Amino acid sequence: MGPTSEQSGSAIIAKDLAKRYRIYDKPIDRLYDVVLPFKKRFRDFWAVKNVYLDIAKGSTIGIIGVNGAGKSTLLKLLSGISEPTRGEVHVEGRVTSLIELGAGFHPEFSGRENIHLACSILGLSEAEIAEKMEPIIAFSELGDFVDRPVKTYSSGMYVRLGFSVATCVDPDILLIDEALSVGDEHFKGKCLRRLNEFSEAGGTTIFVSHDLGSVRSMCSHVVLMDDGEVVEQGAPDAVADEYLKRVRARADDPMQMRSRAENEYPAWGSGELFLEDVQVLGEEGQPGRMFQTGEDVTIRLCYRAVADTEDPVFGVGIYRSDGTYVNGSNHLWRDQPIEFGAIRAGETGEVDMCLGRLPLLAGQYYLSTFVYDHSKPAPTAIDHREHVQTFEVVDARVQQHGLLTLPSTWRVRRTAGADAETTEWTSER
Amino acid sequence: MVKILRSLVRHRRLVRSFVVRDLKARYVGSTMGFFWSVIFPIVNLFVFMFVFQFLLRARFGDQMGPKEVAFYMLAGILIWAAFAETLTRATNCLVENANLIQKVVFPSEILPLNLGLSSLVNMLIGLPIVVAGTWVVMENPLGVQFLAIPVLLAVQLLFTVGLGYLLATLNALWRDTYHLVGVGVQVWMFATPIFYPPFLVEQAKIAKSDNPDDGFYTFGWLLDINPMHWLVESWRRVLLFGQWPEPAMLLRFTLVAVLAFAAGSLFFQRQKRVFPDLL
Repeated sequence: MGPTSEQSGSAIIAKDLAKRYRIYDKPIDRLYDVVLPFKKRFRDFWAVKNVYLDIAKGSTIGIIGVNGAGKSTLLKLLSGISEPTRGEVHVEGRVTSLIELGAGFHPEFSGRENIHLACSILGLSEAEIAEKMEPIIAFSELGDFVDRPVKTYSSGMYVRLGFSVATCVDPDILLIDEALSVGDEHFKGKCLRRLNEFSEAGGTTIFVSHDLGSVRSMCSHVVLMDDGEVVEQGAPDAVADEYLKRVRARADDPMQMRSRAENEYPAWGSGELFLEDVQVLGEEGQPGRMFQTGEDVTIRLCYRAVADTEDPVFGVGIYRSDGTYVNGSNHLWRDQPIEFGAIRAGETGEVDMCLGRLPLLAGQYYLSTFVYDHSKPAPTAIDHREHVQTFEVVDARVQQHGLLTLPSTWRVRRTAGADAETTEWTSER
Repeated sequence: MVKILRSLVRHRRLVRSFVVRDLKARYVGSTMGFFWSVIFPIVNLFVFMFVFQFLLRARFGDQMGPKEVAFYMLAGILIWAAFAETLTRATNCLVENANLIQKVVFPSEILPLNLGLSSLVNMLIGLPIVVAGTWVVMENPLGVQFLAIPVLLAVQLLFTVGLGYLLATLNALWRDTYHLVGVGVQVWMFATPIFYPPFLVEQAKIAKSDNPDDGFYTFGWLLDINPMHWLVESWRRVLLFGQWPEPAMLLRFTLVAVLAFAAGSLFFQRQKRVFPDLL
């Protein structure tokens, strides 16, 4: 790996790769530009620049970077879908890209017919298609659905079919763009096994993601992109640390937090009191958008009363980005409740929900806040807001998967034979 | 142009898959299936017969009775429909298949050809009606002249696909093209003798002013600059009257077709690299 490796052992070599997009203010300017190319009517935007890569055969490479860093553009250049403005790409072997699973499927046709067409787009001959058809259908687990129109498929089935086609055609190089969100856990596992088999058989994989966990577990070499350039590459751990540093610097930028579109999600309530701000505070008490598993985290609700109200109760709901309800609580339904009593107009204050060591694992999360009037038998909304704040959890230290860390220890007891002593091991957290 | 032709030959299997898919897609899920390829032109025929023959009483000359006129129109409609359909669909083909062009390494140059072939096949389904009809009602049915049909198909395809390349590229650069083509095709259809015989155009004149001495505007030149007239006329001679196409007319059309294809494919080829970024 690295720019020094032999040319013969390379799957992809990119030299001084750059891609410029021209931004036109008016669509018709694009046409004028073709007919009368004398005047400049566009602004240049370099999505990718100065990229040198030498990717060895059989390696698994991860490309990481924040949104808009040029990862997907780079992938398109490597796959040959779009042409570089400058520089060149050499590719050895057949490339299949999982940039979009099931691109070009026709909804009216059956799965089988779509497999046929997708394979011919990928350049397979009639005989090869006939040979691959059954393995593809088997892998996709579509069963009888394969003879029904694709429009009747669930989105999971659609993606499964797309993945099966893309990986069953014996590519030499596989380009994957965040495509592994392929339905249920069972199929996801199957896909990962398929990708592992692929790289064990000598295939080259390039994997674009901002999911650090999967990049770290799958890749031997990671390339970090920022603002169109490769800023760091090397061993996964080192590059991942650099990535986190950059992402935190960007995410915690207060300008960025304020610029979030307000009120695109439902909110309701009688309005005697409202939340001026909802913050998620990290270890040093700084509001932020990105936290690590295990970090001391506090959710702060800042309120202002505009009219008198009785017994308001503040609650917070924590959700994962897919809508999973992780936790909901308030300060009243506790062993030692806090009761507000009456609040006069003009009062302001802060309500903190201290999470302690954050048990959430890597992922995107969002908060909903609930201020309810509990003076009546059935609580009524004073200020109910869905999706008020989002934050991301990255996890650089905890090697666990799923939603939450659990304070577990592992114990192993082994006995070598009937008479032997039993030895016991216990793992630390 | 050579580059595009070579690429088309290289991807011929893919072209076939796409044409088959397109033909199936036309009627997938409909009960009557390919029957619609026949019904559509016939309904069209009755509409235009009614308007032009009975309401407007267009003169078709002495040797053509109503039955002859029907087949005369039908032949024109079928050919025009194939041409117009390819043109409008080809204009939008890059936009419609943006998914493929942006996400897969895909030879976009096959798209206009697919549409052209698909329309021609569709047209061939309707043509036997015309031929059968001429055997029944016309005096000079199709004989050995059917040998001209492949030639006509080839030049028609060349012309249509050439324009298709041009318009598809324009539309990728400037989306208003699609709407413009919709209007343009309509105007072009009525400027082509399909529902009326060409001699009406030659005879038509409008006085330049109230004073007859000022002379007249005439419209014969419309036929002299309209390649589709040459094509439709050549088809009719073969299908309806059992004659060979007029060599001069066919030659002119072939020349224009080659030119259209050369210009269209050149333009397409030169802009092709930006398609993935444009759509």
